Amino acid sequence: MSDAEQQRNIRRTALIFAGVAVVFYIGFIMIGVLRA
Amino acid sequence: MNEHVIDAPAHDASHDDHDHHGPAKGIKRWLFTTNHKDIGTMYLIFSLVMFFIGGSMALVIRSELFQPGLQFVHPEFFNQMTTMHALIMVFGAVMPAFVGLANWMIPMQIGAPDMALPRMNNWSFWILPVAFGILLSTLFMPGGAPASGWTMYPPLVLQTGDAFPFLIFSVHLMGLSSIMGAINIIVTILNMRAPDMWLLKMPMFVWTWLITAYLLIAVMPVLAGAVTMLLTDQFFGTSFFLAAGGGDPVMFQHIFWFFGHPEVYIMILPAFGVVSEIIPTFARKPLFGHDSMVYAASCIAFLSFIVWAHHMFTVGMPLSGQLFFMFATMLIAVPTGVKVFNWVATMWRGAMTFETPMLFSLAFVFLFTLGGLSGLMLAVVPSDIQYHDSYFVVAHFHYVLVPGSIFALFAAAYYWLPKWTGHMYSETAGKIHFWASTIFVNVTFFPMHFLGLAGMPRRIPDYSTQFTDFNSIASIGAIGFGLSQLVFVYVLLTAKKGEKATDRVWEGSHGLEWTVPSPAPYHTFDTPPVKRIAEESFE
Repeated sequence: MSDAEQQRNIRRTALIFAGVAVVFYIGFIMIGVLRA
Repeated sequence: MNEHVIDAPAHDASHDDHDHHGPAKGIKRWLFTTNHKDIGTMYLIFSLVMFFIGGSMALVIRSELFQPGLQFVHPEFFNQMTTMHALIMVFGAVMPAFVGLANWMIPMQIGAPDMALPRMNNWSFWILPVAFGILLSTLFMPGGAPASGWTMYPPLVLQTGDAFPFLIFSVHLMGLSSIMGAINIIVTILNMRAPDMWLLKMPMFVWTWLITAYLLIAVMPVLAGAVTMLLTDQFFGTSFFLAAGGGDPVMFQHIFWFFGHPEVYIMILPAFGVVSEIIPTFARKPLFGHDSMVYAASCIAFLSFIVWAHHMFTVGMPLSGQLFFMFATMLIAVPTGVKVFNWVATMWRGAMTFETPMLFSLAFVFLFTLGGLSGLMLAVVPSDIQYHDSYFVVAHFHYVLVPGSIFALFAAAYYWLPKWTGHMYSETAGKIHFWASTIFVNVTFFPMHFLGLAGMPRRIPDYSTQFTDFNSIASIGAIGFGLSQLVFVYVLLTAKKGEKATDRVWEGSHGLEWTVPSPAPYHTFDTPPVKRIAEESFE
Protein backbone atom coordinates (compact mmCIF):
# COMPACT_ATOMS: atom_id res chain seq x y z
CA MET A 1 0.00 0.00 0.00
CA SER A 2 1.43 3.40 -0.94
CA ASP A 3 1.69 6.22 1.58
CA ALA A 4 -0.90 8.25 -0.34
CA GLU A 5 -3.31 5.33 -0.32
CA GLN A 6 -2.74 4.82 3.39
CA GLN A 7 -3.38 8.51 4.07
CA ARG A 8 -6.61 8.29 2.09
CA ASN A 9 -7.72 5.24 4.11
CA ILE A 10 -6.85 6.96 7.37
CA ARG A 11 -8.88 10.02 6.42
CA ARG A 12 -11.82 7.92 5.25
CA THR A 13 -11.91 5.77 8.40
CA ALA A 14 -11.66 8.84 10.64
CA LEU A 15 -14.49 10.58 8.80
CA ILE A 16 -16.73 7.52 8.95
CA PHE A 17 -16.35 7.21 12.72
CA ALA A 18 -16.67 10.95 13.28
CA GLY A 19 -19.90 10.72 11.26
CA VAL A 20 -21.14 7.85 13.42
CA ALA A 21 -20.46 9.94 16.54
CA VAL A 22 -22.38 12.92 15.11
CA VAL A 23 -25.31 10.67 14.11
CA PHE A 24 -25.50 9.22 17.64
CA TYR A 25 -25.36 12.73 19.16
CA ILE A 26 -28.08 14.17 16.97
CA GLY A 27 -30.06 10.92 16.98
CA PHE A 28 -30.42 10.80 20.73
CA ILE A 29 -31.39 14.45 20.90
CA MET A 30 -34.00 13.67 18.23
CA ILE A 31 -35.37 10.90 20.45
CA GLY A 32 -35.87 13.59 23.09
CA VAL A 33 -37.46 15.96 20.58
CA LEU A 34 -39.85 13.34 19.21
CA ARG A 35 -40.90 12.19 22.67
CA ALA A 36 -41.37 15.68 24.10
CA MET B 1 5.50 -8.85 -1.50
CA ASN B 2 6.40 -8.81 2.14
CA GLU B 3 10.08 -8.41 1.35
CA HIS B 4 9.18 -5.34 -0.66
CA VAL B 5 7.33 -3.97 2.35
CA ILE B 6 10.19 -4.68 4.75
CA ASP B 7 12.51 -2.61 2.64
CA ALA B 8 10.02 0.16 2.05
CA PRO B 9 10.67 3.34 3.98
CA ALA B 10 7.91 4.43 6.31
CA HIS B 11 7.60 7.77 4.49
CA ASP B 12 7.94 8.47 0.82
CA ALA B 13 10.77 10.57 -0.51
CA SER B 14 8.69 13.69 -0.77
CA HIS B 15 7.91 13.62 2.92
CA ASP B 16 10.16 15.80 4.99
CA ASP B 17 12.03 13.99 7.71
CA HIS B 18 10.96 16.10 10.68
CA ASP B 19 9.92 12.89 12.41
CA HIS B 20 13.45 11.69 12.72
CA HIS B 21 14.89 14.24 15.10
CA GLY B 22 14.58 13.88 18.84
CA PRO B 23 12.12 15.63 21.09
CA ALA B 24 11.95 19.44 21.29
CA LYS B 25 13.36 21.07 24.39
CA GLY B 26 11.44 22.59 27.30
CA ILE B 27 7.74 23.23 27.60
CA LYS B 28 7.26 23.29 23.82
CA ARG B 29 8.00 19.57 23.70
CA TRP B 30 4.92 18.89 25.80
CA LEU B 31 2.63 21.60 24.40
CA PHE B 32 3.15 20.85 20.73
CA THR B 33 4.22 17.21 20.72
CA THR B 34 2.68 14.82 18.25
CA ASN B 35 4.75 11.88 19.47
CA HIS B 36 2.62 9.03 20.79
CA LYS B 37 5.04 8.29 23.62
CA ASP B 38 5.09 11.90 24.85
CA ILE B 39 1.30 12.11 24.66
CA GLY B 40 0.98 8.76 26.43
CA THR B 41 3.24 10.00 29.20
CA MET B 42 1.17 13.18 29.59
CA TYR B 43 -2.05 11.16 29.79
CA LEU B 44 -0.54 8.90 32.45
CA ILE B 45 0.78 11.75 34.58
CA PHE B 46 -2.50 13.64 34.25
CA SER B 47 -4.50 10.61 35.32
CA LEU B 48 -2.21 10.05 38.31
CA VAL B 49 -2.76 13.65 39.44
CA MET B 50 -6.52 13.19 39.02
CA PHE B 51 -6.30 9.88 40.92
CA PHE B 52 -4.85 11.73 43.90
CA ILE B 53 -7.36 14.60 43.69
CA GLY B 54 -10.28 12.17 43.41
CA GLY B 55 -8.72 10.03 46.14
CA SER B 56 -8.47 12.95 48.54
CA MET B 57 -12.19 13.59 47.95
CA ALA B 58 -12.83 9.93 48.84
CA LEU B 59 -10.91 10.50 52.07
CA VAL B 60 -13.15 13.47 52.89
CA ILE B 61 -16.14 11.16 52.41
CA ARG B 62 -14.67 8.36 54.51
CA SER B 63 -13.52 10.75 57.27
CA GLU B 64 -17.04 12.11 57.55
CA LEU B 65 -18.42 8.56 57.70
CA PHE B 66 -15.91 7.35 60.29
CA GLN B 67 -18.55 7.91 62.96
CA PRO B 68 -22.28 8.66 62.94
CA GLY B 69 -23.29 12.29 63.20
CA LEU B 70 -21.82 15.19 61.27
CA GLN B 71 -18.07 15.41 61.87
CA PHE B 72 -16.14 17.58 59.45
CA VAL B 73 -18.21 18.84 56.52
CA HIS B 74 -21.67 20.15 55.77
CA PRO B 75 -24.05 17.69 54.07
CA GLU B 76 -24.11 19.93 50.96
CA PHE B 77 -20.33 19.71 50.67
CA PHE B 78 -20.46 15.96 51.30
CA ASN B 79 -22.74 15.60 48.28
CA GLN B 80 -20.34 17.71 46.22
CA MET B 81 -17.54 15.37 47.24
CA THR B 82 -19.40 12.19 46.20
CA THR B 83 -20.27 13.76 42.85
CA MET B 84 -16.83 15.18 42.11
CA HIS B 85 -15.04 12.05 43.34
CA ALA B 86 -16.98 9.93 40.84
CA LEU B 87 -16.65 12.34 37.90
CA ILE B 88 -12.93 12.77 38.49
CA MET B 89 -12.17 9.08 38.99
CA VAL B 90 -14.23 7.92 35.99
CA PHE B 91 -13.41 10.61 33.43
CA GLY B 92 -10.16 12.01 34.86
CA ALA B 93 -8.31 9.03 36.28
CA VAL B 94 -9.34 5.63 34.88
CA MET B 95 -10.25 6.57 31.30
CA PRO B 96 -7.26 8.84 30.57
CA ALA B 97 -4.90 6.32 32.19
CA PHE B 98 -6.03 3.62 29.75
CA VAL B 99 -5.80 6.11 26.86
CA GLY B 100 -2.25 6.86 28.02
CA LEU B 101 -1.39 3.17 27.92
CA ALA B 102 -3.03 2.90 24.49
CA ASN B 103 -0.94 5.80 23.20
CA TRP B 104 2.27 4.32 24.50
CA MET B 105 1.72 0.70 23.62
CA ILE B 106 -0.64 0.27 20.65
CA PRO B 107 1.71 1.68 17.97
CA MET B 108 4.57 -0.37 19.39
CA GLN B 109 2.46 -3.53 19.64
CA ILE B 110 1.19 -3.38 16.05
CA GLY B 111 4.48 -2.23 14.52
CA ALA B 112 3.31 1.30 13.60
CA PRO B 113 5.57 4.37 13.73
CA ASP B 114 2.99 6.50 15.59
CA MET B 115 -0.74 7.07 15.95
CA ALA B 116 -2.56 7.69 12.67
CA LEU B 117 -3.68 11.23 13.56
CA PRO B 118 -0.90 12.71 15.71
CA ARG B 119 -2.11 16.33 15.78
CA MET B 120 -5.58 15.28 16.84
CA ASN B 121 -3.87 13.14 19.48
CA ASN B 122 -2.23 16.25 20.93
CA TRP B 123 -5.58 18.04 20.92
CA SER B 124 -7.38 15.10 22.56
CA PHE B 125 -5.00 15.32 25.48
CA TRP B 126 -4.84 19.08 25.95
CA ILE B 127 -8.63 19.37 26.09
CA LEU B 128 -8.56 17.31 29.29
CA PRO B 129 -6.70 19.69 31.64
CA VAL B 130 -9.06 22.44 30.45
CA ALA B 131 -12.12 20.26 31.10
CA PHE B 132 -11.01 19.30 34.59
CA GLY B 133 -9.79 22.82 35.37
CA ILE B 134 -13.34 23.99 34.63
CA LEU B 135 -14.88 21.16 36.67
CA LEU B 136 -12.62 21.75 39.67
CA SER B 137 -13.18 25.50 39.52
CA THR B 138 -16.85 24.88 40.37
CA LEU B 139 -15.74 24.08 43.94
CA PHE B 140 -15.14 27.80 44.38
CA MET B 141 -18.37 29.05 42.79
CA PRO B 142 -21.50 30.33 44.55
CA GLY B 143 -23.57 27.26 45.36
CA GLY B 144 -20.48 25.06 45.20
CA ALA B 145 -19.67 22.19 42.90
CA PRO B 146 -22.29 19.87 41.35
CA ALA B 147 -23.84 17.74 44.08
CA SER B 148 -26.46 15.63 42.31
CA GLY B 149 -24.28 12.56 41.80
CA TRP B 150 -22.27 11.70 38.71
CA THR B 151 -25.49 10.49 37.07
CA MET B 152 -26.75 14.10 36.93
CA TYR B 153 -30.41 13.08 37.19
CA PRO B 154 -32.95 15.83 36.57
CA PRO B 155 -34.71 17.55 38.16
CA LEU B 156 -32.14 17.46 41.00
CA VAL B 157 -29.20 18.47 38.80
CA LEU B 158 -31.13 21.53 37.62
CA GLN B 159 -30.91 22.84 41.19
CA THR B 160 -27.13 23.13 40.85
CA GLY B 161 -25.97 26.72 41.35
CA ASP B 162 -23.62 28.66 39.13
CA ALA B 163 -21.68 25.47 38.54
CA PHE B 164 -24.32 23.96 36.26
CA PRO B 165 -23.24 25.31 32.84
CA PHE B 166 -19.61 24.66 33.76
CA LEU B 167 -20.47 21.04 34.60
CA ILE B 168 -22.20 20.61 31.24
CA PHE B 169 -19.35 22.27 29.34
CA SER B 170 -16.70 20.17 31.07
CA VAL B 171 -18.63 16.94 30.38
CA HIS B 172 -18.87 17.95 26.72
CA LEU B 173 -15.12 18.55 26.61
CA MET B 174 -14.37 15.20 28.26
CA GLY B 175 -16.63 13.52 25.72
CA LEU B 176 -14.97 15.32 22.82
CA SER B 177 -11.55 14.26 24.06
CA SER B 178 -12.66 10.63 24.44
CA ILE B 179 -14.30 10.53 21.00
CA MET B 180 -11.24 11.97 19.29
CA GLY B 181 -9.00 9.54 21.18
CA ALA B 182 -11.25 6.64 20.20
CA ILE B 183 -11.28 7.65 16.52
CA ASN B 184 -7.49 7.84 16.60
CA ILE B 185 -7.17 4.38 18.12
CA ILE B 186 -9.58 2.77 15.65
CA VAL B 187 -7.95 4.45 12.67
CA THR B 188 -4.49 3.48 13.88
CA ILE B 189 -5.36 -0.16 14.44
CA LEU B 190 -7.28 -0.54 11.18
CA ASN B 191 -4.81 1.30 8.96
CA MET B 192 -1.36 1.30 10.53
CA ARG B 193 -0.70 -2.35 11.40
CA ALA B 194 2.53 -3.73 10.05
CA PRO B 195 2.10 -6.27 7.24
CA ASP B 196 1.46 -9.75 8.64
CA MET B 197 -0.02 -8.31 11.84
CA TRP B 198 -3.41 -9.82 11.06
CA LEU B 199 -6.35 -8.83 13.18
CA LEU B 200 -6.46 -12.12 15.07
CA LYS B 201 -2.71 -11.96 15.63
CA MET B 202 -2.94 -8.66 17.48
CA PRO B 203 -2.10 -8.69 21.21
CA MET B 204 -5.10 -8.77 23.53
CA PHE B 205 -4.41 -5.24 24.80
CA VAL B 206 -4.81 -3.94 21.24
CA TRP B 207 -7.94 -6.02 20.70
CA THR B 208 -9.65 -4.92 23.89
CA TRP B 209 -8.82 -1.30 23.09
CA LEU B 210 -10.24 -1.63 19.58
CA ILE B 211 -13.51 -2.89 21.05
CA THR B 212 -13.43 -0.19 23.74
CA ALA B 213 -12.94 2.49 21.11
CA TYR B 214 -16.05 1.28 19.26
CA LEU B 215 -17.96 1.53 22.53
CA LEU B 216 -16.66 5.06 23.10
CA ILE B 217 -17.74 6.21 19.64
CA ALA B 218 -21.21 4.81 20.23
CA VAL B 219 -21.90 6.06 23.74
CA MET B 220 -19.98 9.25 24.45
CA PRO B 221 -22.16 11.20 21.96
CA VAL B 222 -25.20 9.82 23.81
CA LEU B 223 -23.95 11.33 27.07
CA ALA B 224 -23.24 14.56 25.22
CA GLY B 225 -26.78 14.54 23.82
CA ALA B 226 -28.25 13.96 27.28
CA VAL B 227 -26.34 16.82 28.90
CA THR B 228 -27.09 19.10 25.94
CA MET B 229 -30.78 18.50 26.62
CA LEU B 230 -30.20 19.27 30.31
CA LEU B 231 -28.60 22.54 29.23
CA THR B 232 -31.50 23.53 27.01
CA ASP B 233 -34.00 22.57 29.73
CA GLN B 234 -32.21 24.89 32.12
CA PHE B 235 -31.51 27.85 29.88
CA PHE B 236 -33.54 27.66 26.67
CA GLY B 237 -37.05 26.84 27.83
CA THR B 238 -37.27 23.25 26.59
CA SER B 239 -38.89 20.48 28.64
CA PHE B 240 -37.11 17.31 27.62
CA PHE B 241 -36.95 16.10 31.20
CA LEU B 242 -39.26 18.48 33.06
CA ALA B 243 -42.57 16.86 33.98
CA ALA B 244 -44.20 20.28 34.45
CA GLY B 245 -43.61 21.08 30.78
CA GLY B 246 -44.70 17.65 29.53
CA GLY B 247 -41.21 16.16 29.63
CA ASP B 248 -40.09 12.89 31.15
CA PRO B 249 -37.33 12.76 33.80
CA VAL B 250 -37.17 8.97 33.47
CA MET B 251 -36.15 9.39 29.83
CA PHE B 252 -32.93 11.02 31.06
CA GLN B 253 -32.21 7.92 33.12
CA HIS B 254 -32.73 5.67 30.08
CA ILE B 255 -30.45 7.83 27.94
CA PHE B 256 -27.86 8.24 30.68
CA TRP B 257 -27.62 4.50 31.36
CA PHE B 258 -27.53 3.69 27.64
CA PHE B 259 -24.22 5.54 27.93
CA GLY B 260 -23.49 4.54 31.52
CA HIS B 261 -23.49 0.79 31.25
CA PRO B 262 -21.15 0.52 28.24
CA GLU B 263 -19.03 3.07 30.13
CA VAL B 264 -18.46 0.38 32.76
CA TYR B 265 -16.99 -1.86 30.05
CA ILE B 266 -14.99 1.04 28.64
CA MET B 267 -13.24 1.09 32.00
CA ILE B 268 -12.79 -2.68 32.31
CA LEU B 269 -12.13 -4.05 28.80
CA PRO B 270 -8.66 -2.47 28.49
CA ALA B 271 -7.98 -3.87 31.99
CA PHE B 272 -8.84 -7.32 30.61
CA GLY B 273 -6.33 -6.64 27.85
CA VAL B 274 -3.58 -5.69 30.29
CA VAL B 275 -4.11 -8.80 32.41
CA SER B 276 -4.18 -10.93 29.27
CA GLU B 277 -0.71 -9.59 28.41
CA ILE B 278 0.79 -10.04 31.87
CA ILE B 279 -0.43 -13.48 32.93
CA PRO B 280 1.13 -15.31 29.91
CA THR B 281 4.44 -13.48 30.50
CA PHE B 282 4.78 -14.58 34.12
CA ALA B 283 3.23 -18.02 33.57
CA ARG B 284 5.62 -18.44 30.63
CA LYS B 285 2.85 -19.90 28.50
CA PRO B 286 0.84 -18.54 25.58
CA LEU B 287 -2.52 -17.02 26.47
CA PHE B 288 -5.06 -19.85 26.58
CA GLY B 289 -7.74 -19.30 23.95
CA HIS B 290 -6.60 -16.00 22.42
CA ASP B 291 -9.36 -16.01 19.80
CA SER B 292 -12.05 -16.96 22.32
CA MET B 293 -10.88 -14.00 24.43
CA VAL B 294 -11.47 -11.73 21.42
CA TYR B 295 -14.94 -13.16 20.85
CA ALA B 296 -15.75 -12.95 24.57
CA ALA B 297 -14.72 -9.27 24.70
CA SER B 298 -16.82 -8.54 21.60
CA CYS B 299 -19.76 -10.38 23.14
CA ILE B 300 -19.44 -8.38 26.38
CA ALA B 301 -19.37 -5.16 24.34
CA PHE B 302 -22.52 -6.16 22.44
CA LEU B 303 -24.37 -7.19 25.58
CA SER B 304 -23.39 -3.93 27.29
CA PHE B 305 -25.83 -2.11 24.97
CA ILE B 306 -28.88 -4.14 25.98
CA VAL B 307 -28.67 -4.18 29.77
CA TRP B 308 -28.89 -0.49 30.73
CA ALA B 309 -32.23 -0.62 32.53
CA HIS B 310 -30.88 -2.93 35.26
CA HIS B 311 -29.77 0.37 36.85
CA MET B 312 -33.42 1.41 36.94
CA PHE B 313 -35.36 -1.61 38.22
CA THR B 314 -36.85 0.43 41.07
CA VAL B 315 -37.95 3.24 38.74
CA GLY B 316 -40.76 1.08 37.45
CA MET B 317 -41.10 -0.82 34.19
CA PRO B 318 -43.23 -3.63 32.79
CA LEU B 319 -42.49 -7.14 34.05
CA SER B 320 -41.37 -8.17 30.57
CA GLY B 321 -38.85 -5.32 30.61
CA GLN B 322 -37.55 -6.38 34.01
CA LEU B 323 -37.17 -9.97 32.84
CA PHE B 324 -35.41 -8.98 29.61
CA PHE B 325 -32.89 -6.74 31.34
CA MET B 326 -32.34 -9.25 34.14
CA PHE B 327 -31.59 -12.16 31.82
CA ALA B 328 -29.49 -10.04 29.45
CA THR B 329 -27.43 -8.86 32.42
CA MET B 330 -26.94 -12.39 33.74
CA LEU B 331 -25.83 -13.43 30.25
CA ILE B 332 -22.75 -11.19 30.59
CA ALA B 333 -21.42 -13.66 33.15
CA VAL B 334 -20.89 -16.19 30.33
CA PRO B 335 -18.27 -14.33 28.23
CA THR B 336 -16.76 -12.90 31.42
CA GLY B 337 -16.49 -16.44 32.75
CA VAL B 338 -14.74 -17.45 29.52
CA LYS B 339 -12.14 -14.80 30.22
CA VAL B 340 -11.60 -15.78 33.85
CA PHE B 341 -11.31 -19.49 32.99
CA ASN B 342 -8.87 -18.66 30.17
CA TRP B 343 -6.63 -16.72 32.57
CA VAL B 344 -6.71 -19.63 35.00
CA ALA B 345 -6.02 -22.11 32.19
CA THR B 346 -3.09 -19.93 31.07
CA MET B 347 -1.58 -20.26 34.54
CA TRP B 348 -2.30 -23.99 34.76
CA ARG B 349 1.04 -25.82 34.88
CA GLY B 350 2.85 -22.65 33.93
CA ALA B 351 6.32 -21.84 35.30
CA MET B 352 4.94 -18.98 37.36
CA THR B 353 6.85 -16.24 39.11
CA PHE B 354 5.29 -13.49 41.15
CA GLU B 355 6.77 -10.13 40.25
CA THR B 356 4.67 -7.05 41.05
CA PRO B 357 2.76 -6.89 37.72
CA MET B 358 1.77 -10.55 38.13
CA LEU B 359 0.70 -9.99 41.75
CA PHE B 360 -1.58 -7.13 40.73
CA SER B 361 -2.94 -9.24 37.86
CA LEU B 362 -3.69 -12.19 40.14
CA ALA B 363 -5.43 -9.90 42.63
CA PHE B 364 -7.37 -8.51 39.68
CA VAL B 365 -8.62 -11.97 38.69
CA PHE B 366 -9.77 -12.80 42.24
CA LEU B 367 -11.21 -9.46 43.27
CA PHE B 368 -12.75 -8.42 39.95
CA THR B 369 -14.53 -11.78 39.93
CA LEU B 370 -15.84 -10.99 43.41
CA GLY B 371 -17.20 -7.69 42.06
CA GLY B 372 -18.72 -9.61 39.16
CA LEU B 373 -20.48 -12.00 41.50
CA SER B 374 -22.08 -9.19 43.50
CA GLY B 375 -23.07 -7.75 40.11
CA LEU B 376 -24.93 -10.97 39.38
CA MET B 377 -26.79 -10.57 42.67
CA LEU B 378 -27.75 -7.04 41.64
CA ALA B 379 -28.96 -8.29 38.26
CA VAL B 380 -31.75 -10.30 39.89
CA VAL B 381 -34.80 -8.04 39.98
CA PRO B 382 -36.34 -9.03 43.33
CA SER B 383 -33.03 -8.80 45.16
CA ASP B 384 -32.01 -5.61 43.35
CA ILE B 385 -35.14 -3.93 44.67
CA GLN B 386 -33.72 -4.66 48.14
CA TYR B 387 -30.11 -3.70 47.36
CA HIS B 388 -30.82 -0.64 45.21
CA ASP B 389 -29.23 2.62 46.39
CA SER B 390 -27.58 0.81 49.32
CA TYR B 391 -23.91 0.42 50.22
CA PHE B 392 -24.03 -3.03 48.60
CA VAL B 393 -24.04 -1.25 45.25
CA VAL B 394 -21.13 0.93 46.39
CA ALA B 395 -19.21 -2.21 47.41
CA HIS B 396 -20.01 -3.87 44.05
CA PHE B 397 -18.83 -1.14 41.73
CA HIS B 398 -15.79 -0.30 43.83
CA TYR B 399 -14.69 -3.95 43.66
CA VAL B 400 -15.01 -3.77 39.89
CA LEU B 401 -13.26 -0.43 39.57
CA VAL B 402 -10.54 -0.39 42.24
CA PRO B 403 -9.10 -3.92 42.44
CA GLY B 404 -10.44 -4.23 38.88
CA SER B 405 -9.54 -1.29 36.66
CA ILE B 406 -7.07 0.46 38.96
CA PHE B 407 -5.15 -2.70 39.90
CA ALA B 408 -4.87 -3.47 36.18
CA LEU B 409 -3.48 0.05 35.68
CA PHE B 410 -0.90 -0.56 38.41
CA ALA B 411 -0.07 -3.94 36.86
CA ALA B 412 0.41 -2.26 33.47
CA ALA B 413 2.55 0.51 34.95
CA TYR B 414 4.90 -1.98 36.65
CA TYR B 415 4.93 -4.24 33.57
CA TRP B 416 5.87 -1.57 31.04
CA LEU B 417 7.74 0.89 33.30
CA PRO B 418 11.17 -0.64 32.50
CA LYS B 419 10.36 -0.29 28.78
CA TRP B 420 9.45 3.36 29.31
CA THR B 421 12.34 4.37 31.59
CA GLY B 422 15.04 1.88 30.63
CA HIS B 423 15.50 0.91 34.28
CA MET B 424 14.03 -1.67 36.63
CA TYR B 425 11.83 -0.23 39.37
CA SER B 426 12.29 -1.24 43.01
CA GLU B 427 10.68 -4.69 43.25
CA THR B 428 10.62 -4.46 47.05
CA ALA B 429 8.72 -1.17 46.95
CA GLY B 430 6.41 -2.64 44.29
CA LYS B 431 5.59 -5.62 46.48
CA ILE B 432 4.97 -3.36 49.51
CA HIS B 433 2.65 -1.29 47.32
CA PHE B 434 0.83 -4.41 46.18
CA TRP B 435 0.32 -6.01 49.59
CA ALA B 436 -0.67 -2.75 51.31
CA SER B 437 -3.11 -1.89 48.49
CA THR B 438 -4.63 -5.38 48.43
CA ILE B 439 -5.14 -5.58 52.18
CA PHE B 440 -6.53 -2.08 52.52
CA VAL B 441 -8.77 -2.27 49.45
CA ASN B 442 -10.54 -5.23 51.05
CA VAL B 443 -10.65 -3.57 54.47
CA THR B 444 -12.29 -0.57 52.77
CA PHE B 445 -14.82 -2.16 50.49
CA PHE B 446 -15.67 -5.59 51.88
CA PRO B 447 -17.53 -4.24 54.96
CA MET B 448 -19.66 -2.13 52.60
CA HIS B 449 -21.38 -5.36 51.47
CA PHE B 450 -22.56 -5.93 55.03
CA LEU B 451 -23.58 -2.28 55.43
CA GLY B 452 -25.67 -2.44 52.28
CA LEU B 453 -27.30 -5.73 53.20
CA ALA B 454 -28.12 -4.24 56.61
CA GLY B 455 -29.86 -1.35 54.86
CA MET B 456 -27.43 1.59 54.90
CA PRO B 457 -28.29 3.91 52.00
CA ARG B 458 -25.55 5.37 49.82
CA ARG B 459 -24.79 9.11 49.39
CA ILE B 460 -25.56 10.09 53.00
CA PRO B 461 -23.26 12.02 55.35
CA ASP B 462 -24.80 10.59 58.54
CA TYR B 463 -26.19 7.19 59.50
CA SER B 464 -27.83 5.17 62.24
CA THR B 465 -25.54 3.98 65.02
CA GLN B 466 -25.86 0.27 64.17
CA PHE B 467 -23.73 0.93 61.08
CA THR B 468 -20.85 2.45 63.05
CA ASP B 469 -18.41 -0.47 63.30
CA PHE B 470 -18.26 -1.40 59.64
CA ASN B 471 -18.08 2.28 58.65
CA SER B 472 -15.13 2.85 60.98
CA ILE B 473 -13.35 -0.20 59.53
CA ALA B 474 -14.00 1.02 55.96
CA SER B 475 -12.67 4.47 56.81
CA ILE B 476 -9.49 3.06 58.33
CA GLY B 477 -9.06 0.94 55.19
CA ALA B 478 -9.52 3.98 52.98
CA ILE B 479 -6.87 5.97 54.80
CA GLY B 480 -4.53 2.97 54.60
CA PHE B 481 -5.24 2.57 50.89
CA GLY B 482 -4.58 6.27 50.31
CA LEU B 483 -1.26 6.14 52.18
CA SER B 484 -0.28 2.96 50.29
CA GLN B 485 -0.38 4.93 47.06
CA LEU B 486 2.51 7.06 48.30
CA VAL B 487 4.66 3.96 47.85
CA PHE B 488 3.67 4.02 44.16
CA VAL B 489 4.79 7.64 43.97
CA TYR B 490 8.11 6.56 45.50
CA VAL B 491 8.41 3.82 42.86
CA LEU B 492 7.81 6.36 40.10
CA LEU B 493 10.22 8.92 41.54
CA THR B 494 12.98 6.30 41.78
CA ALA B 495 12.04 4.56 38.52
CA LYS B 496 15.21 5.68 36.76
CA LYS B 497 17.54 4.75 39.59
CA GLY B 498 17.31 0.96 39.33
CA GLU B 499 19.52 -1.36 37.31
CA LYS B 500 19.48 -1.05 33.53
CA ALA B 501 16.62 -2.92 31.94
CA THR B 502 17.23 -5.35 29.09
CA ASP B 503 15.28 -5.02 25.86
CA ARG B 504 13.20 -8.08 26.72
CA VAL B 505 12.81 -6.98 30.39
CA TRP B 506 10.82 -10.07 31.46
CA GLU B 507 11.98 -13.61 30.74
CA GLY B 508 8.60 -14.71 29.39
CA SER B 509 7.61 -11.57 27.51
CA HIS B 510 6.54 -11.81 23.87
CA GLY B 511 5.46 -9.05 21.52
CA LEU B 512 6.89 -6.32 19.34
CA GLU B 513 7.32 -3.83 22.19
CA TRP B 514 9.95 -6.12 23.72
CA THR B 515 12.05 -6.18 20.55
CA VAL B 516 12.95 -2.48 20.76
CA PRO B 517 15.60 -1.13 23.16
CA SER B 518 14.76 -0.08 26.73
CA PRO B 519 13.94 2.78 27.07
CA ALA B 520 11.96 2.68 23.83
CA PRO B 521 13.50 5.11 21.32
CA TYR B 522 11.60 8.32 20.58
CA HIS B 523 10.65 6.88 17.19
CA THR B 524 10.02 3.19 16.69
CA PHE B 525 9.23 1.06 13.63
CA ASP B 526 9.94 3.57 10.89
CA THR B 527 10.01 0.47 8.71
CA PRO B 528 7.42 -2.26 9.32
CA PRO B 529 8.93 -5.02 11.49
CA VAL B 530 7.68 -7.97 9.43
CA LYS B 531 10.45 -10.40 10.41
CA ARG B 532 10.06 -9.59 14.08
CA ILE B 533 6.34 -10.32 13.92
CA ALA B 534 7.08 -13.84 12.73
CA GLU B 535 9.75 -14.31 15.40
CA GLU B 536 7.60 -12.95 18.22
CA SER B 537 4.61 -15.15 17.48
CA PHE B 538 3.78 -17.55 20.30
CA GLU B 539 2.46 -20.11 17.83
